[in-house]
Amino acid sequence: MSTTSGIETASVEPLLSLEAITKRFGSFAALSDVSLELRPGEIHCILGENGAGKSTLCNLIFGVHRPDGGAMRFRGVPFQPSGPADALGHGIAMVHQHFSLVPDMTVVDNVLLGRERGVLNRRQCAAQLEKLAVDYGLPLDPDAKIEDLSVGERQRVEIVKCLIRDPSLFVLDEPTAVLLPDEIAALLDVCRRVASSGRAVVLVTHKLAEIKKIADRVTVLRGGRVVATSATPAADIDALVRAMIQGNVEALDSSAASVLGLAPVPRARRDRSAIVKTEALQIDGLTVRDSQGVTRLDNFTLTVDRGEIVGVAGVEGNGQSELTAVLSGMMAATEGRIHLGEAELTGLAPKAITAAGIGIVPEDRHAVGCVTGMSLAENIYLNRLDEFTRFGFLKRSALQREAAAMMQRFDVRARGPAATFSSLSGGNQQKAVLAREITLPNLTCLVAAQPTRGLDVGAVAAVYDHIRAASARGVAILLVSSELDELLSVADRIVVLYRGRIMGACAADPARREDIGAMMAGHAQEHVQGNVHA
Amino acid sequence: MTWELFAVFLGSSIRLATPLLLAGIGEMVSERAGVLNMSIEGMMLTSAFASAVGAWATGDPLIGLLIGIIAVQPVALLQAVLSNTLRANQIVSGIGINILVLGATTLAYREIFGARSRAEIPGLGKIKPPLLGDIPVLGPAVFEQVWLLYLGIALIVLTALVLRYTSIGLAIHAAGAEPKAVDKSGLSVTRIRYGCVLFAGFMASLAGAFLSIGDIHTFTEGMTRGAGYLAIASVIFGKWRVGGTVLACLLFGAATALQFQLPALGVDVPNALLIMLPYLLALLAVGGLVGRQMAPATLGEPFRR
Repeated sequence: MSTTSGIETASVEPLLSLEAITKRFGSFAALSDVSLELRPGEIHCILGENGAGKSTLCNLIFGVHRPDGGAMRFRGVPFQPSGPADALGHGIAMVHQHFSLVPDMTVVDNVLLGRERGVLNRRQCAAQLEKLAVDYGLPLDPDAKIEDLSVGERQRVEIVKCLIRDPSLFVLDEPTAVLLPDEIAALLDVCRRVASSGRAVVLVTHKLAEIKKIADRVTVLRGGRVVATSATPAADIDALVRAMIQGNVEALDSSAASVLGLAPVPRARRDRSAIVKTEALQIDGLTVRDSQGVTRLDNFTLTVDRGEIVGVAGVEGNGQSELTAVLSGMMAATEGRIHLGEAELTGLAPKAITAAGIGIVPEDRHAVGCVTGMSLAENIYLNRLDEFTRFGFLKRSALQREAAAMMQRFDVRARGPAATFSSLSGGNQQKAVLAREITLPNLTCLVAAQPTRGLDVGAVAAVYDHIRAASARGVAILLVSSELDELLSVADRIVVLYRGRIMGACAADPARREDIGAMMAGHAQEHVQGNVHA
Repeated sequence: MTWELFAVFLGSSIRLATPLLLAGIGEMVSERAGVLNMSIEGMMLTSAFASAVGAWATGDPLIGLLIGIIAVQPVALLQAVLSNTLRANQIVSGIGINILVLGATTLAYREIFGARSRAEIPGLGKIKPPLLGDIPVLGPAVFEQVWLLYLGIALIVLTALVLRYTSIGLAIHAAGAEPKAVDKSGLSVTRIRYGCVLFAGFMASLAGAFLSIGDIHTFTEGMTRGAGYLAIASVIFGKWRVGGTVLACLLFGAATALQFQLPALGVDVPNALLIMLPYLLALLAVGGLVGRQMAPATLGEPFRR
């Protein structure tokens, strides 16, 4: 690892250089004094935790934001893009973290949007797509509608949208977060081909496996500052990681580390004596058909024992949302039954389900997990506010006192219990939701959907701790996650959802990773033998 | 029903559908771009009044039409500023404009015309297209129409072609369905939406002028009587497509024409019931018969980057 590598800087003129860039949002400095150089033909990885300023950096380059200090140079000329159009005009293209495709338009039309004036020449564009497909290994049906494509295909459309402009700088903001393992490999291959055609590629990521595999140079951001750079990333990986999380890899919770790809998934990790062979949650033949008659969840049958953690794996959109929505009472199942112990919960309202002892950590905490305009205290006790009333009036002091105790117990950091929920960071919001659900008085089952999405390493570790602690108390836990590493390190057993069906089940054994990956991609459980319910 | 009566029914259906067609297609374009233009009613009324006054004052209906078109643009601009730049609630601001226009035109009408109410105003001429107009029975009854109708048909065809085959059409569709994609492709969502609202205003001004100086050659207070809302309903009924919207407008026009036809046929139906018919149809269309999933995804939502 080095601060700058003098030899290389001299040999290749940088395509884009950032000099002491600073960007503030209000009083918060998202980037301070960031300098880096991007050279033609290289893959430059930007590494950092959530909130380290990676996306802000991309948005500055792409002209979405403007820097408050410092300067950028493009091909040696001062460069201050007035907006995305200006950046595109300079030959800078970007694949955003969140896709921006028009779902009810075809691939060709999405590619043409904003590129041509006047009458559209769809045939010519389709021919160009065909050429790109051959050059970069990006096959696409030009007449397919976006809404009919898989996530991986949609990303290919985003990439093609950029490449067709023939950019000299290609920025990808966390492109692998939503992809299957083999799709990630294909994407990295595309990046390599793009770089070898003499373009500069910027790849933003927090996954180290990708950096090891593909990065020519790495810049590490932490708290908006450049804390390390390396021209030999594969060799420096440990030092880069330490710089990213400011600490020792060894000190990190081993599960959290494995999710980041820092360490192999720990194997003998859980004392499984807590699992009592008593069925807590029983889901029997759950089927959900939507208003169009499409089957979203197909004959889902699963039993979770007390003290057991069962992971539901699968690429997003394969029935996970429907499963958690039905379990929480937000959606009615077309067929099937749900039992908790002896009690039947099928078709009950969310309130009754909570009363029966099921805690729900929803996938979209903003939409259904909390009321962002209310205070932290009110959110922590949202489902038990009537315990804090006298003659129908809310006893705010008692509520705040109790909430303060909960904040301490679950390490929720905020100005105080009266702070507006929306003022909390994502990690603290999630800890508050988890605190509410996990402290239900008669909790016998916890359904947690994507509980660590968007959280930084520290918060991830805290969430795992609380889930494990609940399981040790005998709570049955259903953990729905699209991060396979998360399931492998936290769960006891994994079932894989594909197009609403259970493709297979196995023990959460890291050695089974490839089997599980194959099932996630829709291959039936062939070589995964037995061990369905250990 | 005799052929003569049927031809008259057909002709009056088309005549009564024309203002809906003009306003409806403009509204559809605006909604495709994501802006719900509730003020279409007010825009029509503005134009109906301004073109009537213009035609009456100058004696030339063509100048009247131009004045109507020009008079609506500030109203459309107001709606565009409210719904895009100021990000106001589009339904509330639109209805506000409608009430404002109703008051303003009523007041101005009484000031200008006073006792001479129902004054005859020079109106736009009719044309009879060759061939079609020469068909016996049908020709004069159906095809001899105010030339503004034929201009409207040409504009509707042009709009359909632009939406389908040009980059502007693509940008309009995307601005309503996924404005972020438009923004990231380097186009301006705000400019597209402003343009579409102004276009809706232009089409509504033709519709309003058709009501006053095209059809009955006079102005009466609040003469649009909900035609703007029917235009909005026809967009929903037509599932935000040109063809569907045109059919919906023709259906509403036919329902209105029945008011005059059924009594002529000697069918004894209370008149009030017949006046209700198009609105009742619109209510059914909006409420039950078509799903909402066809609507542009961000309809009514101001864009924020």
